[in-house]
Amino acid sequence: MKHAIGNMSRRSFLKTGAVLGGGVVAGGMPLSQAIWAAEGKVLVARSSGDIVKLDPGFYVGQGDTDVMSCIYSKLTRYKPGSEWGWELEAAEKIEQVDPTHVRFRLKKGIKFTGGHGELTARDVKFSFERVIKHNSPVKGDWGPLDRVEIEDDLTGVIVLKTPYVPLWNVVLPYGVGHIVSEDAVMKATKDGGDFGLKPPAFSGPYVIADFKPGQFLLMTRNAEWSGPKPGFDEIRLLLIDDVKAAERAYRAGDVDITTISSDSLATLKVAPPADTKIENFPSLYYNWLGMNVDHPKLKDINVRKAIQWAINVPQILDAAYGGQAVVATGAVAPGLIGHREKALVPPEGDLAKAKEFLEKAGVSDLTLSIDCLNTSTFKTIAETVQAQLSQIGITVEINLQDSGSFWTTGMESEGERWKALQLYVQQFYSQADPHTATWWAKQEQVGVWNWERFRSQRFDELSEKGFTVSDPGERAKIYYEMQDLMEESGAYRFLSNVSWPLMYRTTKIEEAATRPDGIPLYLDFKPVST
Amino acid sequence: MWLYLLKRLVLAITIIVIAVTLLFLMIRAVPGDPAAVLLGPRATPEMKAQLHEQMGLDKPFVAQIATFFGGLLHGDLGFDVFSQRPVAEIVFEQLPYTIELILVSILWAVVIAVPLGCYSAIRRNSVIDQVTGVLSVATIAIPSFVMAVYALLIFAVTLRWLPAVGAGNGFWDGLTYLILPAFAIGIGWVGYISRLVRASMLEILGENHIRMARSFGISEWRIVARYALPLAILPTVTILGVGIAWLLSSAVFIEVVFARPGIGALIVNAVNTRNYPIVMGVVLVTTFLIVSATTLSDLVNAFLDPRTREKL
Repeated sequence: MKHAIGNMSRRSFLKTGAVLGGGVVAGGMPLSQAIWAAEGKVLVARSSGDIVKLDPGFYVGQGDTDVMSCIYSKLTRYKPGSEWGWELEAAEKIEQVDPTHVRFRLKKGIKFTGGHGELTARDVKFSFERVIKHNSPVKGDWGPLDRVEIEDDLTGVIVLKTPYVPLWNVVLPYGVGHIVSEDAVMKATKDGGDFGLKPPAFSGPYVIADFKPGQFLLMTRNAEWSGPKPGFDEIRLLLIDDVKAAERAYRAGDVDITTISSDSLATLKVAPPADTKIENFPSLYYNWLGMNVDHPKLKDINVRKAIQWAINVPQILDAAYGGQAVVATGAVAPGLIGHREKALVPPEGDLAKAKEFLEKAGVSDLTLSIDCLNTSTFKTIAETVQAQLSQIGITVEINLQDSGSFWTTGMESEGERWKALQLYVQQFYSQADPHTATWWAKQEQVGVWNWERFRSQRFDELSEKGFTVSDPGERAKIYYEMQDLMEESGAYRFLSNVSWPLMYRTTKIEEAATRPDGIPLYLDFKPVST
Repeated sequence: MWLYLLKRLVLAITIIVIAVTLLFLMIRAVPGDPAAVLLGPRATPEMKAQLHEQMGLDKPFVAQIATFFGGLLHGDLGFDVFSQRPVAEIVFEQLPYTIELILVSILWAVVIAVPLGCYSAIRRNSVIDQVTGVLSVATIAIPSFVMAVYALLIFAVTLRWLPAVGAGNGFWDGLTYLILPAFAIGIGWVGYISRLVRASMLEILGENHIRMARSFGISEWRIVARYALPLAILPTVTILGVGIAWLLSSAVFIEVVFARPGIGALIVNAVNTRNYPIVMGVVLVTTFLIVSATTLSDLVNAFLDPRTREKL
């Protein structure tokens, strides 16, 4: 008997105890966590998004890149902290030779798993060029990439057709910047195309030990990794779609770190769960009230200006986010180059001024429609806008739409619905470069993603210029002016840079390293020392 | 019997064809473009056209539906262009989670409800009967997702006895993850089935053959178990067969609340993203499940009741 017990692992015991006892708590640890427990330091996190692809050349969203940054190497990576910046990862050295040439030298000894050899400049060339060659949905990330020239095994030059400053902020340290093994990918796919969810080789500090799509992904240490060791032995990412479910999972002890909803933030700040640290970050999401300038009811700029001035943004944010969101000054998020200190129209607006504009337009008894997604946040925003516009005599009807329907409302390719579009609440997500927050408002995007149908030649010229100017101060001025042009058109009333609050367990995590927008950088997480 | 099965098979195929065709029409009547939703703001017109072509959306409606049914004849549910995986693989990966949730929910409900219903019928108007009556109505009235949230808050968040989200890993681990969701779905069925069994039991207990059994001096419990219950359970079996559709709907909510994998969560996401191949695949499989469950309940009825058997 004694021998039998001696042979029983802690894990088996907990599992058996769990089944027999149906609720026995092992050593103060929540049962759910006890069952999952493994030896070593284990981090259980809610994934920031669904994991759809693990091929960096075809990545889809943040959930994918969170994993990729752990299992692949890239030339550079984001620096953790409150300011945007990058540092070297697989590159020993990287420099801008001239506006269209970037030379890199790789560190020696970074190995691909499965006997696929050392990471070389050839792999870098393959990884970057395949995005263009295979017409990936994310080929736009690479902008004007022409080719990668190999100088020797570890040195190469990225050649661009035209200067492209966003390369440093959103290409090399992010999705398409991850490097895969040419040998492994060619063997797995024959043509070097999309390998979906099955990485043929790893080159980062972790490997994927288990993955159940829609459920969880387990990463364990890469035995062949020779670089600096990350703090946790295992990272389990749980795919929890609903943020409220994630909050409950955290309270139940099922996850150690999760994002929380803005409306829960106020309550959680007052009464946080035990041993919990809550941090709030300005995200790269931005939302606004858009106006279709081609709609007969909104053609007159005075009507649009009246709407801009009638909107009280803090009031909307109080209603929709419990006052926990940051007032947007434009499309560019705080912390990024080009973020404006303030918008042209003050956040609180001015009803008297709004009425003046409406009188100038000679409009009365105006009825407008507002389209938005059918989530509670957007519905609340629309309802608050409805109430605010009623103060200047504008009646607003709300059209709630599911995401499948909403995301094509303003597209000319999807029928005639764009013609009926009047007001709408929109939210986009940018990357860490102002270009990604503004490109969609160009004239070529009218009827595609530019649903306001805003047209400005000057805006388009500035947008092109924004790619080429590397001086941060000069570049910032370009994006200030672009956002001014957007606002002056009367087609936009910027509402919020949605906040991105996180909570984590201080008994497990000493330091949760993140980008300035709160996206976790798991490799830099520090576990509590035991 | 064989003729009956053949008839049911033809009926099942007809139902599936109608359901799938209707769905094909419905999802195309609703605005939305999978390319726009799936690719997001980075979608260029060329990429959208490419995705449309890959999904077969550039073909006429009749050609699309013919391709779907043609594939079906070869056991092919289609291909999800976005995840680069066969639809069947995706659906059958998630299906076991929903089936185990439904089975466990209904199993524990039946195990509790049938004896409770029998006891209430035998001890009619007793305290237990009255308490069961009140509780049954209460549990039927509370929607399963409300029950789910409260069960989760009490047993997972406050007491920390059970996990709050997911489906676990492995059999035993998976069982612990099933307790709360299955409780939330099953509790309403306990009330429903116990009332149903009680009512039909009362009716059967008043019939001639039961009175005759009593006159032979057979014990009351033997009468109930051997002669009354097989007949009294028939309406419950029928209801369970039909109830599979209801259970599937409950599972959708429960899978969201508990962040469990399953076809409920899968179809919600697929509808939102207009991922037509997945929607079609899930609906096809669920329609098949429902048709199979009703056929099975008919067969169980026939097995339990010779009168029904003769009619087949």
